[in-house]
Amino acid sequence: MRNNPRIGWLLLSPTLLILLVFGFVPFLYVLFVGFNEWNIFAAEEGLRFSGLDNYRRLVFDEDFTTSVQLTLKFATFAILSELILGFLLAQMLTRKFPGKWFFRIIHTFPLMVAPIAVGAIWRLLVIPGFGPVPFFLDRWFDIKYQIGSYPDQALWTSVIMDVWHWTPFVTLTMLAGLSSIPREPVEQAKVDGANRLQVFWYVTLPFLRPVLLTTVFIRIMDAIRTVDEVWMLAGGGPGTRFTGIYIWRVVFPRTDYGYGSSISLITLYLTIVLCWLLFIAISGRRKGEVE
Amino acid sequence: MTTTLRQRAWRLCVTYGFWIFTTIVTLLPIWWMFVVSMRSRVELFGRPNLSLSRFFVENYTNVLTDSTFQRYMTNSVVVSTSNALLVMVLALLATYALSRYKLAGRDNIFFWLITNRMAPPAAFLLPLYIMFTRTFRLGDWTLYDTQIGLILLYCVFNLPFAIWLLKGVIDGIPIELDDAAMIDGAGLWGVLRHVIIPLAAPGLAVTGILSWVFAWNEYLFAANLTSVQARTITTGLAEFVTVTGTNWGELAAMSMLTLIPSAIIVILAQRYIVMGLTFGAVKE
Amino acid sequence: MRKLFISVMFVVFVLLVNMSLVSADHHEWWADAAAPYAGATIRGVSESTPPSNYVADVLAAQFTELTGINVEFETTSWDQMYSKAINDMEANTGIYDFVYIEQDIIYSYLAQEYLVNLTQFAADNPDLAYEGYDESAFTSFADYFKNADGDLFGVPMEAFVKVYLYRKDLFEDPDIMAAFEEAYGYPLAPAENFDQYRDNAEFFTAYGESMDMDLWGTTVQGTTGHPASTYEFLESIGPSFGLYNWGINLDAGSAMSANGGALDGDTAVEALTFWLSMLPFAPPEATSSTWDEVASSFAAGRAAQGWVYGENAAWIATDESRSAVTGNVGVRLPVTAPGVIEAAKMGEGYIGYYDGGAFGVPHSSRNKEATLLWLQFIGQSSVQAEWAAAGARITHTATFDDPLIAEQDAKVDGYYTLLEEQGPLFAGAPPFPFHAQVREVIDPFIQRAILGELSPADALSQAAMAVDEELSRLGYGM
Repeated sequence: MRNNPRIGWLLLSPTLLILLVFGFVPFLYVLFVGFNEWNIFAAEEGLRFSGLDNYRRLVFDEDFTTSVQLTLKFATFAILSELILGFLLAQMLTRKFPGKWFFRIIHTFPLMVAPIAVGAIWRLLVIPGFGPVPFFLDRWFDIKYQIGSYPDQALWTSVIMDVWHWTPFVTLTMLAGLSSIPREPVEQAKVDGANRLQVFWYVTLPFLRPVLLTTVFIRIMDAIRTVDEVWMLAGGGPGTRFTGIYIWRVVFPRTDYGYGSSISLITLYLTIVLCWLLFIAISGRRKGEVE
Repeated sequence: MTTTLRQRAWRLCVTYGFWIFTTIVTLLPIWWMFVVSMRSRVELFGRPNLSLSRFFVENYTNVLTDSTFQRYMTNSVVVSTSNALLVMVLALLATYALSRYKLAGRDNIFFWLITNRMAPPAAFLLPLYIMFTRTFRLGDWTLYDTQIGLILLYCVFNLPFAIWLLKGVIDGIPIELDDAAMIDGAGLWGVLRHVIIPLAAPGLAVTGILSWVFAWNEYLFAANLTSVQARTITTGLAEFVTVTGTNWGELAAMSMLTLIPSAIIVILAQRYIVMGLTFGAVKE
Repeated sequence: MRKLFISVMFVVFVLLVNMSLVSADHHEWWADAAAPYAGATIRGVSESTPPSNYVADVLAAQFTELTGINVEFETTSWDQMYSKAINDMEANTGIYDFVYIEQDIIYSYLAQEYLVNLTQFAADNPDLAYEGYDESAFTSFADYFKNADGDLFGVPMEAFVKVYLYRKDLFEDPDIMAAFEEAYGYPLAPAENFDQYRDNAEFFTAYGESMDMDLWGTTVQGTTGHPASTYEFLESIGPSFGLYNWGINLDAGSAMSANGGALDGDTAVEALTFWLSMLPFAPPEATSSTWDEVASSFAAGRAAQGWVYGENAAWIATDESRSAVTGNVGVRLPVTAPGVIEAAKMGEGYIGYYDGGAFGVPHSSRNKEATLLWLQFIGQSSVQAEWAAAGARITHTATFDDPLIAEQDAKVDGYYTLLEEQGPLFAGAPPFPFHAQVREVIDPFIQRAILGELSPADALSQAAMAVDEELSRLGYGM
């Protein structure tokens, strides 16, 4: 640890400057607007200070609370599936077999498609009339699949879409994590008679923890902010009106800036709390078990 | 002897079976996008046919001969590449500072940096719009509709990610190596150049690549903070959705074309991606 | 590639024809009037629709040639267009010199004083007023862009009515006609009342199923992820039952029957019930369909009849590269309840939606003079006919008589004649300064009614309550 903080601050300053200007200043603005009643198409012009009214309104806003539930459901299922699938794929990729590079490249492809294009592709896949998915589900399994008519289907479709899009990211991080695990502890555990599950639980997982933590955090942040894909896919109807989309609707078509700002802040706050709790949960366990 | 051979054959079968299955699942949507891009508008509806009926390239020629498409593509390449480079440099410096120096409130700063990625973007567009059009203004020039505006703005969500990713990597480099270099007479720049950068190279590469991908894919800011000159390719995609019909064929063609640059980058950088994404796991 | 070549040749051809039409002294007038602004660039935002693209590709080039003023077009999606124009005008930024004003948002813009009074501005700058541009040449649609004094705030660039389209090949097929008459006891015909509409829809859905065809009885613009469904209900279905102005009583500031509103009234419930009862007869994509997808479904031959926005009528009927039903499209007035047409003729109501848009100048524009020249250029009579042929839009009364349009009219089963003669029966959106705000409030209830989560009566009474709450929050309420 160096004791010359001045150089440290100097190195940090460009980053801090950019984030202060483009991150913190807008944050202050949103914070301020959140305490006001402000709709540009209201009869009375300009901002009117309204204290905590927006926050009070938010608690009773069924659309908002539903959107939070939906977002959490979406994020939970999408991220859990991505973790399981990503781990499985990464595990398979640690083996040696001919043609591995090919599969590894193929499995990073979805990551490179722009979210808005992802939404468009999936819309083309699932809208009845031209999409193959409803057509074959109906023909082979006699399942009626219409994301416009069944909110649950819309929700699950966006989960699957997200899994398709982001599993490659998780696979990559897991792969990196797995390939950096030293061999000795694993061998040692096997010698001691641990079965596969025990090796996974007591050796692999603790080593994976930092990678896991970062991956989960980044996915949580991005899943809660998701707008583009779902917007293109289902437009944010009843099954997919996630918080990000709800905020967009309140801020843009409805131009209710005051309320939109307060929802944004609460969402930001909830994300931070969620991440913090997760951090404590995961890092707390590490202290108890490994060290 | 035979059993092991049979076992090995069986295992190979399972492995390839697994990979072929997941490859099909992964590629199916992209394949469908390709099929749609090869269809005329009148062929889109009807019983879905997953095979390519003919080579219909008009969607591609329409997109490629459009001068706005070329401008969008150039903007996207310039913005993502500059942003990725900027993020790599800034994140390296910042992470080194956070990792090596005793700074007051270090953990809090780190956490605050990270929270910048958590903000839901919609509500922040308004203040950003005002800043871009009013605050940063020199005569007739504003930050609005400029490449530099997007390059700086994308740091807000890329820097937190990059710093987090590099934190583990740089923490993993023993500080004794810094000391050794300093004893040999290296200054701060020397330490960075001869110790940190070589050892963190894979991590830096990954930071750059993923930042590039995130910037390349961004839509909401680009759509709202640019107008004509600095529009990026993702905003171009949204233009195909209109009141008199979405031109799915051209949309798909353009999506396929946007895939190419990022595919090249990721294929070239495969090796580094895996080496670099180790976060804090390389400590031992 | 060949098509591209042909379209390029077409544009060149149109350019040449137009250049010869603009006579020499007009040339001089434009050059003189524009001299102080030559080299300037004016910038506008619009959606990338055929009429807009014609303006961007053809008219803008001609204008630049004449005046030396450059026109820069930003094309974007429908949602984006609004937020960008509103941001610009609200923040007074001056990015845009002209913006696309959809008819339904004009009252919001006027209330916020976002727009330049074009009549006034031309009167104040007589040397900029072009004699070939005449405000009285516009159809009655231009009235929507005028204030109480009759001053114009936007130059109409497109106008359509939402019509009833049906498949002539199906409705005139002898076997099908016989089968229908046998089943229902009266002859098959394009619907003139709601019972007949329902019978037609039911019949063709069953017919499609029995023949194993991808054919359904009607379109429904019933998306649950877009305001388009609310628009179809409030602006097309509602008025045809006699529910006007979204059921909102502007004077009382309320949508509830108790206060003179009608959104939760019997007429509204009847209209919504009927519209929802059409869903089983609509193709499965109906609950994901916005305006453009309804048109695409119809063009793909997946519906026998339906409510389709007029801007699509021309391409559905004539463009073989996009439509599978060319030459088989019938156009009629939308179905109405008894008495509604009569009321509309007496000016006491309307039967459907008169849709369209205009280009206006934001107050924040820094090139108002050059932009006025540009708007007059696209508003002058001599450019209208080719533009109408390319974009299927008509904003001048004289354009209806142009031979180009008469030729088109025959191919589109008299759509233009219908627009000319019956246009006044339709109306634009109600004069609300809170258009998008209230629509956003009603939206979730209509969507939940489509999903069957709420009964029509419940959906509408909850919607009316929510509207009242929003109106009082905005300061327009009781």
